[in-house]
Amino acid sequence: MRKLVILSSFLCSFFISAQNKQVLYDFAELPQTLLLNPAVDFQGKFHIGIPGLSQISLHAGFSGFSAYDLLADNNVGINDKIRDIYQSIGKSEFVSFNQQLELLNIGYRRSNNDYVSFGYYQELDVLAKFPKDMIDLYYEGNTVLNRRYSVDKLAAQAELLGVFHVGISRKVGEFTRFGGRIKIYSSVASASTKRNSGAFYTENGSDNIYRQHLSNIDLLLETSGVQLPSDVELDQSYVQSQFLFGGNLGLGLDFGFTYQPEDQWEITGSIQDLGFIYYTKNVESYRIKGSYHLDGFQLDFDPNTPDTYWSDLKDDFEERIVMDTIQANYMNFRPTKLNGSLTYSFGRKRLDDCTFANRVTPYTHKVGAHLFSRLNVVHSYFAATLFYERRFGKTFSTKVTYTADPFSYANVGFGISARAGAFNIYAITDNLLGLRNVYNMQSINMQFGMNFIFGAY
Amino acid sequence: MIINPKKISYFVLFLLCFSCTKPIDMDQLDDTSLDTSYLFTLIHLNLNAPKFLDDLNQEIPVTSDMVSIANLDDLYPYLKRAEFKVNTANSFNRNFTLNILFYDKDQKLIYTLKPAIIVPANSSELTHVLEIPESDIDVIFNTQYFGMEMSLWNSTTGDVIEVTDDYEFVLKSSVKLYFNFRKA
Repeated sequence: MRKLVILSSFLCSFFISAQNKQVLYDFAELPQTLLLNPAVDFQGKFHIGIPGLSQISLHAGFSGFSAYDLLADNNVGINDKIRDIYQSIGKSEFVSFNQQLELLNIGYRRSNNDYVSFGYYQELDVLAKFPKDMIDLYYEGNTVLNRRYSVDKLAAQAELLGVFHVGISRKVGEFTRFGGRIKIYSSVASASTKRNSGAFYTENGSDNIYRQHLSNIDLLLETSGVQLPSDVELDQSYVQSQFLFGGNLGLGLDFGFTYQPEDQWEITGSIQDLGFIYYTKNVESYRIKGSYHLDGFQLDFDPNTPDTYWSDLKDDFEERIVMDTIQANYMNFRPTKLNGSLTYSFGRKRLDDCTFANRVTPYTHKVGAHLFSRLNVVHSYFAATLFYERRFGKTFSTKVTYTADPFSYANVGFGISARAGAFNIYAITDNLLGLRNVYNMQSINMQFGMNFIFGAY
Repeated sequence: MIINPKKISYFVLFLLCFSCTKPIDMDQLDDTSLDTSYLFTLIHLNLNAPKFLDDLNQEIPVTSDMVSIANLDDLYPYLKRAEFKVNTANSFNRNFTLNILFYDKDQKLIYTLKPAIIVPANSSELTHVLEIPESDIDVIFNTQYFGMEMSLWNSTTGDVIEVTDDYEFVLKSSVKLYFNFRKA
């Protein structure tokens, strides 16, 4: 039952979430852009997201291959396809999921023109990296002598958490804004394995034909919130309490800036989730460490000695390769995201009597480039985006992006934001070219949300 | 205005409505098959003269030993065949016959690897390769003990083995297991 509740929580979160939000970044002055860069000059006096619907986003990606690569109905045999995929995959392919469900997002402009925003969202973040050596060992076997099958690149991290945040965007100069956001993380469940090391290999032996090695094995799996005490009733109220500061707590910071060196040019940058979670509750970690070599069984042909070869080997193995269960506190750094952009605006500058005098009025066209990087012990990756944004009066904005990332070098994204009075609705997706054949998509990134924005352009 | 919101909405609707899929065939997964092989070090021994003599220093014509092995049921039915490689070196002036034997949980002999290995007298390192073919591979899953039996041939010259002889019989071995992973 416990596992079912945890699994359900993971799955519920999984179907509503995102990662590199290249379309959303700096798009249409949506309140959600403040979560990507707290310095954004949000164009409004007050906003409130519709609870539970202000941002629903999903990112899922696998850098290795697509379903179509494997399952295409063509004249190529399935085993040939598997061989082609095997030969094409790189040294460390990875799979990633990220989800965020925003439950609260409110912001208001203070009398000094600072914009303060705060809220709460639920996030699931999963990243797992598959070392090529492990795939080689499965696919090719171990018959190549002295070939070392390393576990060094075996790494994965999964985290289900709630995040409460408060941020401020402030104009600090005529052309410059800075912003910051503080986050409190409440981790419901976490599992991570990083910095693994060691190798398995076979070499020519002296006592026997071959000697097989487990060399300097050091594997560590850290978990929290997975193994629970028997007196804990894993029900909805327990999970809710874990999301709302009852879990393992952490602290994070976002920083950002915008700078306009000229009227039509803008440079922005931000760093998100510069923080950590310290795990003290329901912690259980497992470590396997040691070295072992095996020459086989040496039979002594002594009829007076009982057969203890296998138990002797097992005992020797367990003595040299030690598995420990550890209940010690530990800390994980959050995956930090970096964003940077350069934009050039042009076209008819829309003036409005209601526009705040000290605010920058937007142009109708905007082009630019956006760089994104996710930095993490498990795996870091990078994405580059070119974009074009178009405004249509007060009510309608669109954005088209072209992104190269580890999943695709031709990822075309599209976003729409519309307003009717104070009501705002937006929808964003990427990988539009993948719509030609959905099975061939290696990643998808979607956001959808609704807000009420007051005092906007 | 060349591009207006209505046109964009139609375009997006068009994209969403006409997103398509090329045909895929899930059934082909049933034909997935992967052939691979794994190498394992096995038994080694180094026997000198006293091992072939009893308490009265009389020659023991047949000597044997066995080792219990791990349960391999999880490999069923993927294991296709097993290839044993045996290296021998014999400085005794007597031939040996070596049998590789498989026993069940009651230590009852259920299979003997064929052919038996004849190790000539005064032979330096020889390599012997024996195989459990696919037709007999089920024996692996019924095996609880794996053993070797060594038969000392009679002397053709009347010589007997003395406890002080420095003869040596050396054996090294490995097994290569061939798998075919597929839908069971």
